[in-house]
Amino acid sequence: MMTGGGLSAAGHVDIRHGHATWAPGAANPAGLAMFKTCQMQIGSMTKAQQRPLVQEFRLLATPVVVFLLVFLGFPAIVNLIYSVSEVSFETLRQPELSGFKNFAAVWSDGAFWQASWFSFRFGLLTAVLECALGLFLAIFLSPLIERRSWLMAILMLPLMVAPALVGLMYRLVLHEFVGPVPYYLWTYFGASLSFLGPGSAFWTLVVVETLQWTPFALLLFYMAYQAIPSEIAEASAMDGARSHHRLWYIELPLMLPTIVVALLIRFIDGFRVFDNVYVLTGSGPGGSTASLSIYIYEAFFKQGAIGKAVAASVILFVVSFAVLYGLNFIASRRKGANR
Amino acid sequence: MTLATMKRGALLAAGIASLLASPALAEVTVLGWPGGPEEVALRAAADTYNAKSDVAEKDKVELLFFNRDGFWDKLQADLAAGSKAFDLNLLATYSIGRYAPFMEPVELSGEAKAVYGDSVLSTMQYEGKQYGVPTDLSLHFMYFRKDLIDTLMKDDAAKAKYAEISEKYLGKKLEPKAPDEWSWDDYAATALYFTQAVNPDSPTRYGTVLQLKNLLFNIMIWQSVPRAYGANWMDDSGKITVNSDAYRKGLEIYKLLYDNGATPRDSLSYEFAEANAAFASGQVAAMLQWNAAAGDLTSKEKSPAVAEVTDTVAPPAGPEGRFTHIHGLGFGLNKNAENKEGAAQFLKWLSSKEAALIYAKNNGAPALTPEVVAEVAEARPDLVKLGEFAGKYGYVMNGGTSAKALSVYELQAKEFTGYWSGQQSIDDALANTEKGMAELLK
Repeated sequence: MMTGGGLSAAGHVDIRHGHATWAPGAANPAGLAMFKTCQMQIGSMTKAQQRPLVQEFRLLATPVVVFLLVFLGFPAIVNLIYSVSEVSFETLRQPELSGFKNFAAVWSDGAFWQASWFSFRFGLLTAVLECALGLFLAIFLSPLIERRSWLMAILMLPLMVAPALVGLMYRLVLHEFVGPVPYYLWTYFGASLSFLGPGSAFWTLVVVETLQWTPFALLLFYMAYQAIPSEIAEASAMDGARSHHRLWYIELPLMLPTIVVALLIRFIDGFRVFDNVYVLTGSGPGGSTASLSIYIYEAFFKQGAIGKAVAASVILFVVSFAVLYGLNFIASRRKGANR
Repeated sequence: MTLATMKRGALLAAGIASLLASPALAEVTVLGWPGGPEEVALRAAADTYNAKSDVAEKDKVELLFFNRDGFWDKLQADLAAGSKAFDLNLLATYSIGRYAPFMEPVELSGEAKAVYGDSVLSTMQYEGKQYGVPTDLSLHFMYFRKDLIDTLMKDDAAKAKYAEISEKYLGKKLEPKAPDEWSWDDYAATALYFTQAVNPDSPTRYGTVLQLKNLLFNIMIWQSVPRAYGANWMDDSGKITVNSDAYRKGLEIYKLLYDNGATPRDSLSYEFAEANAAFASGQVAAMLQWNAAAGDLTSKEKSPAVAEVTDTVAPPAGPEGRFTHIHGLGFGLNKNAENKEGAAQFLKWLSSKEAALIYAKNNGAPALTPEVVAEVAEARPDLVKLGEFAGKYGYVMNGGTSAKALSVYELQAKEFTGYWSGQQSIDDALANTEKGMAELLK
């Protein structure tokens, strides 16, 4: 059975997914007749085999589909209903439809926009910082890690700590009377800095997040850097390229897809941040460090405004979907243009 | 198969069977407050109850604990979902209205009134019905360094400096007083005097430590200030009364202390633990804090720098009197309980004198009447003050047990911390709070 492409004496036969195409080389009627016969046989064989294959696919895909419907589909539908309903903890099973009042309430809520702006700034800044640092470390430490691979395990340690625990740890580290950082600042400089005050909390949170997640970017970039064939570096050296030329014109372009993916993953993670921020500063004085996730959590549990919280989550979902779809669309167009 | 192997197999099977069977014996499941003195006390009470010969096997008590983080939110979700995982659950004064739709009123023992008194029993009441047994009471003490205050009171030069500082920052010359006679102005003047940013000769870096994190529990601590000036959430007709001079005065006192460095700059992220750590360091002269901190702050092992020189009094007074916020933790009956009869029987016993004394002797903090607390006064002297302060100065704001009480505290925390941190004016903070409360409490 032919499952891929192949060559015949009569010309180029390419078989993909059960379809055979004939690309004539030299004119050869006997060969053509033989090929047609073969084509018919293959055609009839694949059609016969296709049916069970489709059935098998359906059978095997069923558990995944059921899982997705139950664990994603059901909550999504409930969310959509709650977002257009008047609902409280007492009426979870009997929500009353109320139109788009919840969406209007979210849209006109200053706290929602404040939280959205916080999430956007936080996500963008931490993604850029983590990727820049990760890229620098991946390239700078690459020769060292190649010789001593156990270094990578040590560099990955921050990833092993749960974000909530990181928040708790920094609550202690930065506390004026308990933490080592304020202690040394006071002892050597007589300074009592505010790390979590209104002017500094955002930057402290950015630093904490960056310190924890830079190793993730480092890991991705190191793997991408290692995957660049050494022949390319050797060829460029033969052509007289210096190391910064090699980095700028060869290595970084080859690593670009990984950089884009890392930026996207870190932006999404930073945008939806909850644990460490909530543990470290709560939603901050006047809600100044409330991310969108914290806004939704507090609206749901603290204010009991279930409809409003769910409406905010639906808005977040629609915007995220639109952005991801847009990125995907741009990426496929670029891919198409490059062909 | 040899006899020895068979014996080993039988023993193993019996062991497994007994392990599997033991949880099934306990039929009344109690969801408690985990990881603190309340857990220790509840365990002791449950052990005593289970050991009683007249308690049937099917009515024995099993305790269930999960994490404190997000406890009330998880409980809310469980109750709303009709959970049958527990028969009795923890209840707090500020959340009774929120959970009452999923719970049932309870009947207490005949001794309950004599053991707890009316004001303490009322912390577990909602719309005239008793929803729980008040096992632990929380209120506030003014913790202060008696060594520092004694020195200040004896030193004329220090008194002159104190008067100078109070005139500069509060607009009136004040004399140092004993903490039990403090007004809120005296507290503010003392806090400023013991602040190195204001008085470089101060023996402590800060005069006080305020808990200013955007957190509902911090508003409970602060609101005794405006209360002393006559503040309330709403009047008897239901009109919201937060946009008042009393609230303004309370907010301004904290703002004055924060802006002048009388409390650490990071106080805007401080809550219970951070404030305790600051006071225990010996760099703070006085602070308003929950009674639960007394054990740690007066323990030589846990707070060696301050344990022997720390004393407590009730919070300072204002023109309308002296007040401390009180709220109780207790246990109430889940509407979906599977063993309501057994659960009700345990609750009745829990409200008896016998149970209250066991609870008190094992680290619990019940607010007991003077007659009852006398029996444990030697072992638990802190409970004497607890009962006394609760009876004399305890208050609950109008609407403080309503279904939206927690949301009101959350709202106030957000708006008032916005003012203290300089992100909005006091007028905006009060107007936003008034508007939000009118919506929540309508």
